[in-house]
Amino acid sequence: MKTNSLLLKVLLAAYLVVFFGYLLGPLIVMSFTAFNSPSFPKLTPWECLTFEWFDVLANDERILNGIENSIIIGIGTVILSVIMGLTGALMLTQIWPKLRATYYTIVIAPILIPGVVLGISTLVFWDRISIMLGMSTGGILHNGIFLTILGQSTFIASYCMLVFIARLQRFDTGLTEAALDLGATHVQAFRKILLPFMKPAIGSAAVLAFLASFENYNTTTFTFGKYPTLTIELAQKVRYGINPSISALAFIIIVLTVIGALAHEIYRRRQQLALANGAPVSAVTGSFQLPKILSGNPAAIILILLTLGGASTIWFAQSYSPDSCKMDVREQKRFIQEERIKAIREKRQLNIQQKQHQGPDVFGGSKSTAPATQSPGKGAFGNVFDPGNLDKSAPAPKPEKPVTSPGKGAFGDVFSPQNLDKAAPKED
Amino acid sequence: MKAAQLIRDYFVKNGLGLGSFLLVAVLFWVVILIVLPQLSMLDFSFRHHLPPPEMGGPKDTYTIEHYKYLVLGAPGADTSYNVVDLGVFGRTLLAAFFVTILDLVLCYPLAYYLGQSRGGGAIRILVLLLIIPYWINEILRAFAFRIIFGESGLINEMMLTMGLISDPVDFIRANVALYAGLGYAYILLMIFPIYNVIESLDRNQIEAARDMGASWWRIHWRVVIPYAKPGISSGCTMVFMLSAGALAAPQILGGPSSLWFTQIIYQWFNTGGNWPRGAAFAVVLLVACIIIVLSMMRLFKVKIGDIGK
Repeated sequence: MKTNSLLLKVLLAAYLVVFFGYLLGPLIVMSFTAFNSPSFPKLTPWECLTFEWFDVLANDERILNGIENSIIIGIGTVILSVIMGLTGALMLTQIWPKLRATYYTIVIAPILIPGVVLGISTLVFWDRISIMLGMSTGGILHNGIFLTILGQSTFIASYCMLVFIARLQRFDTGLTEAALDLGATHVQAFRKILLPFMKPAIGSAAVLAFLASFENYNTTTFTFGKYPTLTIELAQKVRYGINPSISALAFIIIVLTVIGALAHEIYRRRQQLALANGAPVSAVTGSFQLPKILSGNPAAIILILLTLGGASTIWFAQSYSPDSCKMDVREQKRFIQEERIKAIREKRQLNIQQKQHQGPDVFGGSKSTAPATQSPGKGAFGNVFDPGNLDKSAPAPKPEKPVTSPGKGAFGDVFSPQNLDKAAPKED
Repeated sequence: MKAAQLIRDYFVKNGLGLGSFLLVAVLFWVVILIVLPQLSMLDFSFRHHLPPPEMGGPKDTYTIEHYKYLVLGAPGADTSYNVVDLGVFGRTLLAAFFVTILDLVLCYPLAYYLGQSRGGGAIRILVLLLIIPYWINEILRAFAFRIIFGESGLINEMMLTMGLISDPVDFIRANVALYAGLGYAYILLMIFPIYNVIESLDRNQIEAARDMGASWWRIHWRVVIPYAKPGISSGCTMVFMLSAGALAAPQILGGPSSLWFTQIIYQWFNTGGNWPRGAAFAVVLLVACIIIVLSMMRLFKVKIGDIGK
C-alpha cells in the first residue's frame, strides 16, 4: 500500500512536470530567443546576449501603429460589451420563463460560433446595409475600427454576460425593492444599489473584454479594413519572415502578464488575510504595510525579485554591448565555414582522384584545386575547376616557386596521389 | 393579451427609462449583432458572385452554385466530387476531434487533482500558472511553437546534438507542430469547466467507493466522470468548436500541403475575392459544427445550459 502511494506520488509529480512543461516551456523558450543574436529566433546555438531586438521592436512603425489601433478598438469593445453583457444578464433574470432557454442559447451561441464566421457575417451584413443605404465604400459602415468593434463585441459580450450572471446570482433583489419602496426612482436604485454591487464584476469583465479584444485574430482578420491591430500585424510578420523582435514583444507581454497576475494575487491575499482578521475591506485596500505582506506571501516576494531583476537588466543593457561577442561569433562561424569548405574540397579531390584513376580525363582545373585549399579565406571553391584559376591562386601561397603554365601542369603527375594534397607546382 | 401584460409588468418593474434602455441594448446585441448578420450571411451564400454595381439588379437571384461547388467541384473538373475541399473539410473536423481528445486526456488528471485538493497556496500558484499562458497572444503562442518545432528549432537541434537523428525532422510538414499548438491554445477551456465541476464533488462519495473496495479506475468511471460530465462536455464542445474554427494556428504552424478549412474560407474572401462562396463555406462549417456538438450533447445527455458554467 505504501509503495503504491509513493508510486502514485511520483507519477503525479512527473505528470505535473510534463503538463506545466508543455504549458510554460514554449513561453520560456520564446522569451530567451529575444536575447540571442541570430536573426532567426532560436535558442540553440546560443551566440550572443543582445538587446538589439528590443531596439528593432521599438522602431517598428507597423507594430506601434498596430498597438494604437488595438487600444482604440479594445476600449470601444470594452464599453460596448460590458453594457451589452450587463443588460443581457439582467434581462435573463426577467425574461418570460418559456423564452429563457431560447434566449440563453442565442446569447451564448457567439462563444461557440467560430470566430471566422462571426467576422464574415459582420462584414457581409454591414456591407449589405451600406449598399441598401446607398453609402459609398469609404463610409463609416466600411470603417475597420467600427466593424471590428462590432464583430468582437458580438462574442465578447457573451463572456462578460457569464461574469455578470455569476455575480447576479448572489444579488438580493430585496435591496432594490426596498430602495424603490423608500421612494427612489428606478434609475437611482440601479445606480446606487445594483451598480455598486456589480462593480467588481464590471471590473473583471472589462479586463477580460480588453484582453480578449487585444488578442483576437479570427474575427478581426475579416473586419480590420485599413486599421490592422497588433495581432494582425504580428500574424503578417510571423507568416512572412520572422525575426527575434517578435520574441522581444512576447517577452514584454509575458513579463507584464506575470506582474499583473502576481499583483492581483497579492491584492487578493491581503484582502483575505484582512477579512480573516475581521478588518473591514476599506481598511485593507488603503495603506501599504510592507513587512506584513511579505510574510507568507510568496507572490509578493516573487514580484519584488522580478522588479529588481528587471531594473538590473535594464541597467545592464545600458552598459552592455554585444559587439565584441558578435565579432567572435562571426569569426567562429567563418572558421566553421572554412572547415566545411575544406572538407568539401577534400571530398572533391578524392572524387577527382578516383576519376583520374579510372582514366586520364584531365582538365586544367585538377591541379588548381591543391593550391586553392591553402587559401581558404577566399572561399572560391565554386570556381576551382576554372582553368584560369591557376594563374591567380596557385602562385599566391607559394610565391617563391616558379609560376607554371596551366597547360603544362595539367599533364603532369596527375596520377600520383601526393600530387593533390601537396602543392602541385613543386613537381615541375 | 398575456404578452401585453408581461410587457407592462416589465416596465413597472424597471421603470420606463431604464426598462427601455435595457431592452434597446439587448435587442441591439441579439438582433443586430447576432441574428441578422448570421441570416444575412446565409442569404448572401445563396447569391451569385457579382460585381457591386450589379447587386440588387436583375442578375441578383438565388442560386446554390457555391454549395454545389463545395460538393461537386468546378464544372468540367475531372473528378465528380470536389475532392480537395471536401478532403480538407473532413480532415479539419477529424483533426479538431483529435485535438479535443488530446486536451481531454491531458487535462482530466490535473483538473481532478486541482479540484480534489483543498486549495492551498501551492494550488493557487498552479492555477495562476495555468492562466498566464492564456493571456499571451494567440499568434505569439503559435510563434513559440514554430521556434520549438522549426527545422532549426529547439527539438531538432537538441536531437541532432544528442545524435538521435542525423537529419532534421520536418515537424511542420508532419503537422505535429499544428496539433501541439492547437491543443495548447485551448487547453484552459478544457481544464476549467472540468475543474469547476469536480471541485463541487463531495469527497465522501469517493471515499465511500474506496471503502467498498472499488479500484481507482472504477471510482473514476462510476463516480467522478458521471459527475463531471457537464464540465467534460462543455470543455470538449468549446475546444472542438474553437479548433475547428481556428485560423491563426493553421496559418502559422500548418504544413504547406495541409490546409485547414478556415484557410480556404479566408482565401475565398481575400485572395479569391469570391465573397458569396466564402460565405457558403462558412455556413457549411457553422452548420457542421452545430450538428456535431448537438449530437454529442444528445449522446452524453447534456443540456446547452450547462455550457459556460
